[in-house]
Amino acid sequence: MADVRFEHVYKRYGDNPPVITDLNLKVADHEFLVLVGPSGCGKSTALRMIAGLEEISEGELFIGERLVNEVAPKDRDIAMVFQNYALYPHMTVFDNMAFALKLRHTSHEEMQQRVERAAQMLGITPYLKRKPRELSGGQRQRVALGRALVRDPQVYLLDEPLSNLDAKLRVQTRAEISRLHQATGTTFVYVTHDQVEAMTMGDRIAVLNAGIIQQLGTPQDLYDHPANLFVAGFIGSPSMDFFEVTLHRAGDGQADIVIGKGDEAQRLTLTGKAAEIVTGQAAGADGRPLIAGIRPEDFSLDGAQSGNGTTISGVVDVVEHLGNEQLIYVRLPGAYVPESTETKGSTARLDPSVRVSPGERINLRVETGNLHFFDPSTTNSLI
Amino acid sequence: MSQARPETANTSTSRLAQAKGTLSLSQKPGAPKRSTRAIVGSIATHAVLIVTCLVLVFPILWVIFSSFKSNAEIQNTTIELLPQHPTFQNYINILTDPTHQFPFWSWATNSLGVALITMIIGVSIALPGAYALSRYEFLGKQGVLLSFLITQMFPGALLLVPLYRLFTDLGLLGHPYALVIAYATTSLPFSVYMMKNFFDAVPRELDQAGLVDGLGPFGVFWRIVTPLTIPGIAVVAFFNFMNAWNEFLLARAFLTDNTSLTLPVGLQSFVFAFGVDWGRLTAASLLVTIPVFILFVWAQRYLITGLTGGSVKG
Amino acid sequence: MATVSATLNSPPAGRRRILRYLRSKWFAYACIAPIMLATTVLIYYPLVVGIYYSFTNASGTNPNNVGIPILNIPATFKFIGLKNYIDVFANTDPTVDVRQIFVQTLEWIIFNAVFHFVIGLGLALLLNRRMRFRGIYRALLIVPWATPQFVAAFGWRFLFNGDYGFINLLLEQLHLAPIDWAGQPSAAMAAVIICNVWLGIPFMTITLLGGLQSIPGELYEVAELDGASWFQRFWYLTLPLLRPTAVLVTMLDVIWTFNVFAIIFLITGGGPYHRSDTLVTYAFQVAITNQKFGLGAAYGVVILLILVVFVMIYSRLLRANEQVY
Repeated sequence: MADVRFEHVYKRYGDNPPVITDLNLKVADHEFLVLVGPSGCGKSTALRMIAGLEEISEGELFIGERLVNEVAPKDRDIAMVFQNYALYPHMTVFDNMAFALKLRHTSHEEMQQRVERAAQMLGITPYLKRKPRELSGGQRQRVALGRALVRDPQVYLLDEPLSNLDAKLRVQTRAEISRLHQATGTTFVYVTHDQVEAMTMGDRIAVLNAGIIQQLGTPQDLYDHPANLFVAGFIGSPSMDFFEVTLHRAGDGQADIVIGKGDEAQRLTLTGKAAEIVTGQAAGADGRPLIAGIRPEDFSLDGAQSGNGTTISGVVDVVEHLGNEQLIYVRLPGAYVPESTETKGSTARLDPSVRVSPGERINLRVETGNLHFFDPSTTNSLI
Repeated sequence: MSQARPETANTSTSRLAQAKGTLSLSQKPGAPKRSTRAIVGSIATHAVLIVTCLVLVFPILWVIFSSFKSNAEIQNTTIELLPQHPTFQNYINILTDPTHQFPFWSWATNSLGVALITMIIGVSIALPGAYALSRYEFLGKQGVLLSFLITQMFPGALLLVPLYRLFTDLGLLGHPYALVIAYATTSLPFSVYMMKNFFDAVPRELDQAGLVDGLGPFGVFWRIVTPLTIPGIAVVAFFNFMNAWNEFLLARAFLTDNTSLTLPVGLQSFVFAFGVDWGRLTAASLLVTIPVFILFVWAQRYLITGLTGGSVKG
Repeated sequence: MATVSATLNSPPAGRRRILRYLRSKWFAYACIAPIMLATTVLIYYPLVVGIYYSFTNASGTNPNNVGIPILNIPATFKFIGLKNYIDVFANTDPTVDVRQIFVQTLEWIIFNAVFHFVIGLGLALLLNRRMRFRGIYRALLIVPWATPQFVAAFGWRFLFNGDYGFINLLLEQLHLAPIDWAGQPSAAMAAVIICNVWLGIPFMTITLLGGLQSIPGELYEVAELDGASWFQRFWYLTLPLLRPTAVLVTMLDVIWTFNVFAIIFLITGGGPYHRSDTLVTYAFQVAITNQKFGLGAAYGVVILLILVVFVMIYSRLLRANEQVY
């Protein structure tokens, strides 16, 4: 068991701009750290650097107290679960799991014992004599986990291990991996592009984009206090809605924002924490353009045409019923779409009981105390 | 540029493998009544195929049946497919060589030895080379691939003269086993390309899993990737064997002594200035073809079998 | 490649970079060393020597004539510039019409390539349907492929025998005049072409069949729904989608056909009067039978140049049609 430290690590391919830029990250001992980000953000590269499968162009990488830049994968004492399982097709499940032990000259009895224990934990004991191709996807996934589990490594590395499973198995295996982490008490570094996986499994999450860590923190931290537009848009499903707004200060600590421009412009009065923070800052000068973020669940339907600074109105595009809630895609003024969000336009998450139909104009009440604000030029959070 | 070539060798294998899933679509299973037009079409198809198969197989059949005829019967000018007076005399003459003019056993031993050694040497140097070309990026890799592509165009006739001189000067002329080095090498570019295709089909993740499990570069090559490409190795081995077994040009130019000949050149001894001993030539041809035929059927099976199925993705 | 040069060029710690590069690549170089050694000694070196010979008068009559610089053996033949090439193209040999051999080579390639492709495609189309006995047909079609070339050559020579060969007996039975396969130039050419066509059909059929089967079935179903007839489906789907495979195998076929030696040598020996020779078989006679090494090498160079030009043009074609997809 050990921590993992990246110190000013770069990865470059030829003369192209680096795929990882000045990565500084400390994965604590026993921690479950998730590296999350869109494809091509460098998260897998970072993980493969820990494994020694990818050379480090610059900087230093430590596992425990040992500098491992030049250490071969086999000498790093790590175990890894691969996206496509990477089971050896010519070996039985048992041999797959025992292979690493065999290479380390583990005694036969111990090998037997460890494989059987791991197999039992994962419920794959009946398949030990089979070849990987005779197993279902879920079973193969378990064997891949088992192969890592029989080892007693310093760090477990998991590279999108759930991406080839169907939705149901994915949820199930998610819980299982969390349980394994608790059982082994070893450091886990887990790579995924799926923010739901990241949120549900990680002790801490590092959000990467374009080879740079955008934010590192606990899941709740990331959700409540996204450091910038990218994190705000990436974490949470459906994504946060963003608007181009202008700030209007009314003196005595009061502030309004104007959403959209010209005829469609609508006004919201800030309250609570949001108002406090925005007006308390130099950034919150009068007439300043900002990006405002509203989580879909911070909308609720307002029947009255009140328009008193707590609601905004728009035309419904599409309604999705999910049973326990409904998602309303609505055309709101000033809507802004950053690259990290998954949906275009604005989404509201409403109680399933209310009736809304496409084409209808609705009023949405906004929890103005929960608004997020971002600087349009730096995209950093103002809160 | 060099990317175009690997597909070449691969077309038949990979496409055949893919094809297993998507067969024909013109007839769905359980299709109800077939129209008369379809039946006529089907009969025509079978007729064409039967005739073609007959034409393609007939020369071999004719050789087979003639090998059981006496030379007198062979020279009969009426068409008789089956021998009227079947005889093993041709085979006996070949195998016992009563005139001590046609040492068939020497030729066969030479051929077999040359082909087997060519196969072993060819495979054992093509294997690591193809692996490096498949798995590593290194200075000069593109140059190697390109030069191998170009060697495919080299006519034997151009290499013949320099090789002839080289063999003469090294004192290797006339030794059948010396041909091995030429055969193994001239087969190399194609062997390497074929083998590289098979290596390319093994997912890199398996190498990486091996590295993480504790293997070094050689361990990954020998214990993970090589066992997964056994069909490929079989095909390459077969290719090398066939090439050496069938080669005529160099053998004809380099071998002179009657007992040092390989089969292709040896069999030519049955062709005389004023005629051919067809009885013995057909019998010998048949004996020569049988081992290759068996090997061919065996290699065919490996062409299609893929071993990787199951390790990666669904 | 870009990575490599970039890391090697950066001046600071350049030596360390090189060491690190070698440490990560030593295995690759170790693996590649045997094939490089073998091909250098037995392919590239002879190639260079062959090109060198083609400018000399090396022959069987100037013995000990090869110069091996490493062993310090001096050459005894002379450098004669382009004379060999002039002999090739100026048709100076009174006994042979070399231009005719060029024409024959072209005929040989065109007839073989066309028959291979047309018959191979036809059979592939027939076999690309689910039907009874498909496996048997496929197995039988492969028979010529599994036959050693020299055996095929003997077998066909037997069939073409003028007096009691099966083909002439058959012609007689059909009340047609027997053909003098050995003595009549065009018949001799036809005989060797027939044998080589026979040999090449299986490879074409199997590879084209593979190409056909890799075309996704849904495409045909969509086309059928769109109302395309059998011929339209063939013309607008099969042919364009088969083109990459077809272009590649045809290129290989032409190269292999060009270099065929045993068939012609064993069936007709290039006769009568070189009228069924190709450049390759003729070059063999010049170099080995007549021991004119220099002139033979010049023929080899000419053959290589023709093939290189052909492949360059053809691969241009190949690349052009890759862009279509």
